[in-house]
Amino acid sequence: MIRISQEPAFVLHHYSYGETSLLLEIFTRQHGRLGVVAKGARRARSPLRSALIPFQLLTVNYSGRGELPTLAAAEPAAATTPFIGEALYCGLYLNELLLRLLHRHDPHEHLFQSYAETLNHLSGNSGREATLRVFEKRLLEEIGYGLVLTRDSHNGSPVQPDLEYCYVPERGPLPVDSGGESGIRVRGRSLLALAREELGDPDALREAKRLLRGLLARQLGNKPLMSRQLFHPERTTGTVE
Amino acid sequence: MTSSPAIEGLKQALRRLPGVGPKSAQRMAFHLLSRDREGARALSEAIRIALERVRHCRRCNDFSEDELCPVCASPRRDHTLLCVVETPADLASIEQSAAYNGLYFVLMGRLSPLDGIGPEELGLQRLETLLDEGQIREVILATNLTVEGEATAHYIGDLARARGIRASRIAYGVPVGGELEYTDRGTLARALTGRHDV
Repeated sequence: MIRISQEPAFVLHHYSYGETSLLLEIFTRQHGRLGVVAKGARRARSPLRSALIPFQLLTVNYSGRGELPTLAAAEPAAATTPFIGEALYCGLYLNELLLRLLHRHDPHEHLFQSYAETLNHLSGNSGREATLRVFEKRLLEEIGYGLVLTRDSHNGSPVQPDLEYCYVPERGPLPVDSGGESGIRVRGRSLLALAREELGDPDALREAKRLLRGLLARQLGNKPLMSRQLFHPERTTGTVE
Repeated sequence: MTSSPAIEGLKQALRRLPGVGPKSAQRMAFHLLSRDREGARALSEAIRIALERVRHCRRCNDFSEDELCPVCASPRRDHTLLCVVETPADLASIEQSAAYNGLYFVLMGRLSPLDGIGPEELGLQRLETLLDEGQIREVILATNLTVEGEATAHYIGDLARARGIRASRIAYGVPVGGELEYTDRGTLARALTGRHDV
C-alpha cells in the first residue's frame, strides 16, 4: 500500500475509464511517470474535472496497491495559463515524447524541473523551437542517451567551432576527415551552442534540430510522433504529391 | 441458474450500449422477455431500420437519411456560416439553443495525437474540400474546451485562414446564472482574458 500526498505533478494524458472515471498518465516530481485512476472525474460536478488538465502544475494525493493507484485529490499549484495555438501543439509534442520515452515509476526529478520550465517558456511567444531542442537534449540525457558535445570521440580533443563533424549515434562527434562519414553532419560551433543550451543562431538551431531528430528517432523506433503532424497543415490537403 | 444461449447473447448485445454493465444488461434482457415482448420486437425493428437508412450527410457529415440532411438542404439557413462540432450530440445541443442559423460540419471526433488521431485519421480532407468550394465566409469553431478540442480548433482555424475565410472560436466563461464564488479557477481565468466591453 502506498500513500503519497502533496506531490507536484502534471497530467500528460487521460483516457476514459469505465463510465465516469479517468485513467490518467501523470508525471510526478519524485516518482516519475505513472498511471492513476481518478474515480468519478468525468461526472459534471466532480471537483477533479476542471483541475485535471495538461500543462497545469498540480499537487496531487494518491494511494493504493498495485499498478494503478487511486487519485484522491488534485489542486492547481500555480496560476492557470491557458495553453493555446502553437504553444498547445508544442505541449502535446512534449507529452507524446514523455509518454513514449519514459518508463513508468522511473524517477526523473531534474527532467520534471526542466519540463515545468519548458512549459513556462512555451506559453511565451518567442524562441519556442530553441526551447524544444534544449528539452529534447535534456530528455536524452535523462534516459541514458546523453549527447557528447564538447569532445570529439576520435581522440577526445576539444570540439573546434570551425571544424565539421559527423555525429555518430551512441559514439559522438568524429571530425569529418577521421572517417566518421556515416553520421549526422554538424559544425563544431553548433555542437558547442547546444552544449551551452544557447541556440539563438538560426544555423545552430537548424543543425541541432536535425541532430536531435536523428537521435530521437533511434529511441522512438518505427512509429512516428503524431503531434509533429499538427505543425504542417499544408500536408493534409489531398492535392499534395 | 444458467441461462440459455439466446438470453446470454441478448445480454452480451445489450452490454455494448454505453453505461450498461452486466447487471443492467440482465435486467433489461429479462424485462424485454418477460414483460414487454412487443416492445422488444419494436426495438429490434427500429434498430434494423435505422441501420438500413441512416448514413452520413454528404456535406456536413452528420447522420442523415437522405444524401443531404435537412439542415444542409434548407434554403432558410445561412450557407456562408459553418459551425464545426465534434459530435452529432454537440450539433443537437447547438440546435436546441436556437441561437444559430448557419450550417454545420460534424468531425465525428477530434485531433488527439497522443491517441494516434492526426489530421489524416480524422478525415479533415472532406472539410477542406468544403472550404475550397468558396461559399463559406466564416468558420465557427465549436469543439470542446479540452486540450484536444483546442488543438482541433486551432488547426482548422489555420486551414480556414489559409483560404481567406474568417475563423472564430466560441466564447467561454461563467455559465448563465452562475456565481463567481463557485466557478473553477480555469474557467474564471478564461473569463477574464476573454472579457469584452459593455
